[in-house]
Amino acid sequence: MVKKDGLKLNAWFASGEPWVWMNAAAVGISIAAVVGLLLLIAARGFAHFWPASVAQLDVEFPNGVSGVLLGEIADRESLSANQYLESTGQTTEALEPEQAVVERWLIKTGNRRVAPPDFRWVATHYIQAIDYPENALVLERMEWGNAYGFLEAVYQDGELSSEGEGAWSDLENRLKRSVGLRVEIHALESGELNGINYALERLRLERRSLDRRGTVDDATREARLSALAEEENLLLASFQDAESRLRSLEESLARDSIRISTSSGQELEVSLSEILRAWRPNSMSTPQKASHYLRSLWIFLSEPPREANTEGGIFPAIFGTVMMVMLMSVLVTPFGVIAALYLREYAKQGAFVRLIRIAVNNLAGVPSIVYGVFGLGFFVYFLGGNLDALFFPDALPAPTFGTPGMLWASLTLALLTVPVVVVSTEEGLTRIPRSIREGSLALGATKAETLFKVVLPMASPSILTGVILAVARAAGEVAPLMLVGVVKLAPSLPLDGNFPFVHLERKFMHLGFHIYDVGFQSPNVEAARPLVFATALLLVILIIFLNLTAIMLRNRLERRYRGVEA
Amino acid sequence: MAVTVRLSKMPMRRRLVNTLTRVVVALGGAGVIAAIVLIFVYLLWVVAPIFSATNIETGLAYDLPAGDTLLVTTNETDEVGLRITRSGDATFFGVSSGRSSGFSSDLKNTEQANASVSDRSISLGRTLERVIEVAGHTGLYAAVDTDGAVTMLQASYPVAFDDDVRVIQPSLDYVFEDDWLEVEASGALDVYYGDFEVRIAKIDRRSLTIHQYRDAEPGFALELPRRGRLQLDTDYKRVLFGPRGQWLYLLGVDGTVEILDIARPTAPKSIYIGRLVPENRTATAVEPLLGRYSLLVSDDAGLVTQWFVVRDEFGYQFKSARRFELDTPAVRLVPEPRRKGFGAIDAAGHIHLFYTTSQRSLASADLVTEDVVFASIAPRSDLMLTAARDGTVQSYHLDNEHPEISWSTLWSKVWYEGYSEPVYSWQSSSADNDFEPKFSLTPLLFGTLKGAFYAMVFAVPVAIMGAIYTAYFMAPSMRRLVKPGIEIMAALPTVILGFLAGLWLAPIIEANLSSVLSIILVMPVGVMVCAWLWSRIPDGITRRFDGWYGLMVLPVLLLTIWIAFAIGPWLETQFFGGDSKAWFLENWGLSYDQRNALVVGLAMGLAVIPTIFSIAEDAIYGVPTHLVNGSLALGATPWQTLIRVVMLTASPGIFSAIMIGLGRAVGETMIVLMATGNTPVMDLNIFEGMRTFAANIAVELPESEVSSTHYRILFLTALVLFLITFAFNTLAEIVRQQLRNRYGNL
Repeated sequence: MVKKDGLKLNAWFASGEPWVWMNAAAVGISIAAVVGLLLLIAARGFAHFWPASVAQLDVEFPNGVSGVLLGEIADRESLSANQYLESTGQTTEALEPEQAVVERWLIKTGNRRVAPPDFRWVATHYIQAIDYPENALVLERMEWGNAYGFLEAVYQDGELSSEGEGAWSDLENRLKRSVGLRVEIHALESGELNGINYALERLRLERRSLDRRGTVDDATREARLSALAEEENLLLASFQDAESRLRSLEESLARDSIRISTSSGQELEVSLSEILRAWRPNSMSTPQKASHYLRSLWIFLSEPPREANTEGGIFPAIFGTVMMVMLMSVLVTPFGVIAALYLREYAKQGAFVRLIRIAVNNLAGVPSIVYGVFGLGFFVYFLGGNLDALFFPDALPAPTFGTPGMLWASLTLALLTVPVVVVSTEEGLTRIPRSIREGSLALGATKAETLFKVVLPMASPSILTGVILAVARAAGEVAPLMLVGVVKLAPSLPLDGNFPFVHLERKFMHLGFHIYDVGFQSPNVEAARPLVFATALLLVILIIFLNLTAIMLRNRLERRYRGVEA
Repeated sequence: MAVTVRLSKMPMRRRLVNTLTRVVVALGGAGVIAAIVLIFVYLLWVVAPIFSATNIETGLAYDLPAGDTLLVTTNETDEVGLRITRSGDATFFGVSSGRSSGFSSDLKNTEQANASVSDRSISLGRTLERVIEVAGHTGLYAAVDTDGAVTMLQASYPVAFDDDVRVIQPSLDYVFEDDWLEVEASGALDVYYGDFEVRIAKIDRRSLTIHQYRDAEPGFALELPRRGRLQLDTDYKRVLFGPRGQWLYLLGVDGTVEILDIARPTAPKSIYIGRLVPENRTATAVEPLLGRYSLLVSDDAGLVTQWFVVRDEFGYQFKSARRFELDTPAVRLVPEPRRKGFGAIDAAGHIHLFYTTSQRSLASADLVTEDVVFASIAPRSDLMLTAARDGTVQSYHLDNEHPEISWSTLWSKVWYEGYSEPVYSWQSSSADNDFEPKFSLTPLLFGTLKGAFYAMVFAVPVAIMGAIYTAYFMAPSMRRLVKPGIEIMAALPTVILGFLAGLWLAPIIEANLSSVLSIILVMPVGVMVCAWLWSRIPDGITRRFDGWYGLMVLPVLLLTIWIAFAIGPWLETQFFGGDSKAWFLENWGLSYDQRNALVVGLAMGLAVIPTIFSIAEDAIYGVPTHLVNGSLALGATPWQTLIRVVMLTASPGIFSAIMIGLGRAVGETMIVLMATGNTPVMDLNIFEGMRTFAANIAVELPESEVSSTHYRILFLTALVLFLITFAFNTLAEIVRQQLRNRYGNL
């Protein structure tokens, strides 16, 4: 290396050593960005489910007003005195003398209906005392978000059941009962009632089809119509029966109620039909918190969203994403593999192959939104519109396939990910030594037999790599999906118990779009933000897992062929 | 002699499979090209109609009962026509059949109206002076009888199904219960109906009277009017309501115009007096354009001009925004009912079609009949009806789907109604029906390039320098980790980057602007200082760490960021007077949005860094080692070798990396959507947002009506995006193929 003793600054610059450091810094920035982003998402995403302590703050404002706030500390930040005054629109009286930096906390106080807003910033120098009362209660409610307060009494059918100390264990027992009831209600709604509705809709369509087509003679038509009417009556009867059972379950759920007092001294009556969960974080031990954490995580993964997607789980989004990428893999794999086979095994290397390569590269480089536009115009309106006119004229003017949906989204993304599969498969095919193919041909196998029995099995890991990478790409893609089938809230899953079980025409939810929608379109961004981080974390884990699998697969492949090539 | 493999001996099945495989595989290969061609062709196919030519074709002549026509019009679907004559007879006729039978008509309130009903026509029972279209409400007509009484009529065309046959049963109804209003109109008058209020303005030479009927509900009687009167200085022969009934245009005999503010109809106020035509010319026809913001004026020299009110520092001005030239003066102007286009009938018997926004002269055709006394364009602008003096009605088919677009409307400044000067503007829709859509692609192109530019400013140096270090200096064991590590970032969904940029980074940057800006200075200086200190350490120690600088520099980077945030508040008070955002606004005129180009540049830069990094790294790493070794052997330092040999050889690869990165930045959707305000402004200001092609498509396409002009323009922007990236990618690919050849030769 360069001699350093007595080196002048100029010479040091001329040696290029500082520029090497600058280049190293560029790598450092990239590494720091990747690691930092992942850590940020992980920290925020994982932290969301941990039951936060509930703090009771005695606050006294400079204008003499004082009060008590009960809630979770959601965020902390420090601002310069100027920024603080500007953002809150206050005068210097709001500060302590000589104060240059203001630290403030974001308190999630919940109780959105009785004491909005549910989030508020409090500067720490207003806080006189902080306490973590053992019996502070958190209620997760069906509507209006969390409630914070102290349990006063438990009622059954309006009669006092317990009060004071014993109330908490009483409430816990009653919550167990309501969980059971809720499971029954859910089964009834999504199973029986949903099935009856679906059957009724099919009857309606069949009747329309009878009315519309002149091909059936009057007698058979009448017979069929009366059969339909009979069937409909049966369905309606069972519908009413199921509905009355539902109503009685709901009444039974609303049997119990509790009374809580909030930090502002208000008394609040809450029916147990409103309460999903209740816990007292300040008196929980670490194992209890851990079990609460796992329960919350499970609810997040397994339940549908509530409250305009800002609460509850993301199960439909996970389901939609998985089903969409599976369908897409089925579509993209044959196309991509065949194209790669053509390029490597069949085509004469020349202008045409170069053209195909340019096409593949361009397919990879065309912005995803352009695929979305193409998918909407060609698949949805053109293909879908024509399919409707041919096969589903009874439902018109309500479109069946002529509207964005699962099938079109999968097709669009299949087109988008073709290059990934082509490139990866080609790479695998290149690695297979010529001698192996020639050996097969020499033994009398035809070219097709060589392909199926020798080449493809050997290339299968690289095909798999390609498909995994394609899946990873598709799982994270949002822009085209916004046009061809993703919605913020899908009423039903694309897979259910109603014939024909797979409903490819339905719209679906998607993890990536969920992030966009909840983070940017939601009415209460502050409340939704932790949920968005959790969703983002899930998506990132999924995609990194897929990519790492692909990389590992590729590395193993490399090692395997090193032996063959030698 | 070559050995012949006699395939004929193979079993049929094997041969078949072999051939079939070949065919399927070849089809698959062609399928890739087919896919990309299909995308291009389909986009083009959707876009093409906006540039197709306009046609006028002569349609049917209708044999209607003789009469002096005051109105001909059609229903929404161009199936049923309606004609009203001076004798007060209203006749419905089938537009495609040309016959006036086959409808059963009915006039409600028959007894009160004292009208008789026949199977094909209705009589209003009065001799009419004229029939005019009601301002503020399409599809309503006001009839004025010879005694100066006015009524408002609405034609409705309910559809019924009789034995699966679609039957339209048109009817003509009075809008309000007390049908004829005795307003004693002796001169000209105009009627406005909107926001539950009817206004009737009549002008008799110099005296103007305005009747205001409030709480007007269709089907009920009108209450007694409030009256406003005004004595004017000059004679006027015509009166027209302006937009939303808030103005009155008064037209004089000699081409003078006066505009009154009638926000309070009982106290009209003059706001502008001027002329519509030069002194030596006369106006041959004046008609309001849809929405009544503009007046169209034709003069005897063959000029048609569009005028609208512009409000500037001198108050209200009536400006002539654009002109259309005709060989023969127009005698009749026919505005389109739903768009800002119009037809003109000239003295020589020709029809011309024009569109104002795009200033296009669309088509011309010869009139079949002479002496046209009335003309109208159908609601969907696909049919024109003319009535001659002898009572014959003639139709013309107009093939005029997308007149609002021309090449210059898309890319140049356009003078829109109510604007004081021509501007670039993208504003595709509004709640108003009489809204003038503004389809300039320039702000979107500008936004696209602006976003890509700021992303590249951040990404190119970091990615290329990182690639240089990784490929050329980095220890192999570290490279094996770093390269896939950064490449994984390419797989990170952009929706997550966008979400972090919009909800996490943007507020941080807003709160710590001076700290963030100071990083640009502090970080390189910090790295330099670190390098200098490192060079003071004896060689024996440092040599062991060669190739690990990338990792060792991390604490330095974090330290510099910490320093930047620590000195931020001090900088803020020292240089920016305590508020950097206000300082930038005052001194440099830069306003600050929370979600701005800086945030987008960082987030989108992060998204394209892996792409550029990976390709550039491959190119540098692929430079043959004998070149490097040769250079080093000749005594060049590693840095000299890098700059003079390696970079030179790898430059095409680096170029192609930048091209591909640029292609990605141009088409990125989610980051821009989430990290900017998506306002289509044209300002390079880094602290303001923008709207890009991609984000615009994502926002507007789901709401756009299929096959409308808006829909096709959005497809056009997709096509433009496709072509831009196609150009970048093809260029990159060609360069790369050449590079491959060059390395092959070395």
